Amino acid sequence: MTKQSAQFEPFTPKTISLLTEQGDWAGPFKLDLDQATLKRFYRDMLAARLLDEKFTILLRTGKIAFVAPHSGHEAAQIGLAHALQRGHDWFFPYYRDAGAILALGVPLKEMFGHALATLADPAKGRQMPGHFGSKSLNAFTPASAIASHVPPAAGAAISMKLQNTRQVSVCTFGDGATSEGDWYAGVNIAAVQGAPAIFVCENNKYAISLHYSHQTAAASVAEKAHAFGIPGYRVDGLDVLASYYVMKDVIERSRQGHGSALVELEVYRFGPHSSADDDTRYRPKEEVEAWRQKDPILRFQRFLERQSIWTKDWEESLRAEIKAEQEAALQEAISAGEPPVEWMFDDVFSEMPWHLEEQRRLVTDELS
Amino acid sequence: MPTMTMVQAVVQALDEEMSRDNRVVVMGEDVGKRGGVFLATEGLQQKYGPDRVIDTPLSEAAIIGAALGMASHGMRPVAEVQFADYVFPGFDQLVSQVAKLRYRSGGQFTAPMVIRMPSGGGVRGGHHHSQSPEAHFAHTAGLKVVVVSTPYDTRGLLKSAVRDDNPVVFMEPKRLYRAIKEEVPSQEYLIPIGEAAIRKEGKDISLISYGGSMVETQKAAEELEGVGVSAEVIDLRSLMPWDKETVLASVAKTGRVLVVSEAPRMASIASEVAATIAEEVLDSLEAPPLRVTGFDTPYPYAQDKVYMPTVTRILNAAKRVLDY
Repeated sequence: MTKQSAQFEPFTPKTISLLTEQGDWAGPFKLDLDQATLKRFYRDMLAARLLDEKFTILLRTGKIAFVAPHSGHEAAQIGLAHALQRGHDWFFPYYRDAGAILALGVPLKEMFGHALATLADPAKGRQMPGHFGSKSLNAFTPASAIASHVPPAAGAAISMKLQNTRQVSVCTFGDGATSEGDWYAGVNIAAVQGAPAIFVCENNKYAISLHYSHQTAAASVAEKAHAFGIPGYRVDGLDVLASYYVMKDVIERSRQGHGSALVELEVYRFGPHSSADDDTRYRPKEEVEAWRQKDPILRFQRFLERQSIWTKDWEESLRAEIKAEQEAALQEAISAGEPPVEWMFDDVFSEMPWHLEEQRRLVTDELS
Repeated sequence: MPTMTMVQAVVQALDEEMSRDNRVVVMGEDVGKRGGVFLATEGLQQKYGPDRVIDTPLSEAAIIGAALGMASHGMRPVAEVQFADYVFPGFDQLVSQVAKLRYRSGGQFTAPMVIRMPSGGGVRGGHHHSQSPEAHFAHTAGLKVVVVSTPYDTRGLLKSAVRDDNPVVFMEPKRLYRAIKEEVPSQEYLIPIGEAAIRKEGKDISLISYGGSMVETQKAAEELEGVGVSAEVIDLRSLMPWDKETVLASVAKTGRVLVVSEAPRMASIASEVAATIAEEVLDSLEAPPLRVTGFDTPYPYAQDKVYMPTVTRILNAAKRVLDY
């Protein structure tokens, strides 16, 4: 029986998928996204992929020190970013979320500014690349420590509930994070408080080198939701429509007061863990190649082609447009200049205590 | 003026701040129905309800981390860690998240929150109910650290901590919770974070201490007075930032100084204060600055009274400095 709207049951025996690998709609309800939205999803996915490539070029030419590639995660990240109410809901990303951050609307100039640590970075160049945050878009600046943002995401959700703001708090992480104590602590307090927190695992099957099968004996991350008394959804994260619709449904239920949820978006990381990693040491090239055949962008492209939305010409003009935007933003970020050295001492506290004033003087004297 | 104990001063300060600002919430293990295991939040849940005095699961990571999320979202949480010894499951939250949020976001996100914890020894608690871990927090850039020693200061400093725009680790020496009763004004007052208090003026030697050890330090000062030595006693109260100006002015006057604290010596607050004195006012010194501290062992159970600086140990050190 065809459902009238996009509502999903938790703990389904099979992973929730709406698009076949050939790009056919297989959803049990009528697709209700207009053409402009579908095109936007595709553009954001493509822009995310090209951003990954751009970062890699900057790395190889020595302009930036670090990249955590997100290729393979685009459908999951763009789907979830569009399911949020932008600038209203809160997003607690981790370090592999550049695609989601981009789709959320963080300006490219800020993203390059962050990667290059220039004055175009709203965070003043304080962290290594990959830690994008934005107060104006409620994207909580990440810390590198795995799963450490899960309790804060729960806390923000508790605050939303207490103040009745009708916001939700969406927190993403990789599969490795689900082994951390902070992960259990955070999910548990949100769940028991009935707070509008949605915990989203971008399960790419590897925590650096460790395969999922050595991370946990649980068959899925989603089923861990049982232990917290909240619903768990296992979703094909290579399918942007499944990622979007499930996230949308789960978010709106949380917003209406139904508490927390856990969503597992099954993806695959096409690149290494980071620019400092050699993934050939722990996974065969054939495995990576087989997953690349399931590229989330190609699957959505096939779908759009069948809808007569995607054409080769559109693809070419879109790529040219995105590349030009990225190059222009990159140049703007570079020309913004470097943060002054003495800024190192700002923002430790709201005001500067005497010992930091002394230490700042030491540096300015040294440089003068 | 009413008299009150330190634990009553905690309740009073929280009550006043909660009634002044409805963004202030109290959260922690057993803080609601039970009123806290030391009764430092007694009666608050009855008065403000379970949404503002939240009984949390048994998880310091959840308490501190969730408090941070609430703070960044516009609330003013006061999180209680039941014993300072149990802060360590939440230590990553304090160090990786709370302390660095303002800095790592370039000032976009902030963490106006208080993390209260009973600390220190003297209650026959063994090493998991007696530690003084303040150096960990002072060593972590981005956290303010306060250790109180009187009911009056507790009320004034805790209210300042709640109003501070930075995360404040607020340590309450549990052996003093009910040991001292003092008169506290009925009208409200604030004590600024970062200012030491001169408990007793003197001219021959400076005794600098804070927290629980203030008791023995003040007794030692009285004994010194009895033998004709005029000791100046300074209570640091705030450890980050600490009041260098008051300390150096005192040492410049007396030329002799002890720094007393029950925390272990290695990489301690006492060491930092002593090193600063040596670096900055060496010419005023008549003797090396000495530290009188807890030992670099885990806090022992059977030797509870000997581990912490005793009056005798303080007096012996004073003799060394005075006879130098």
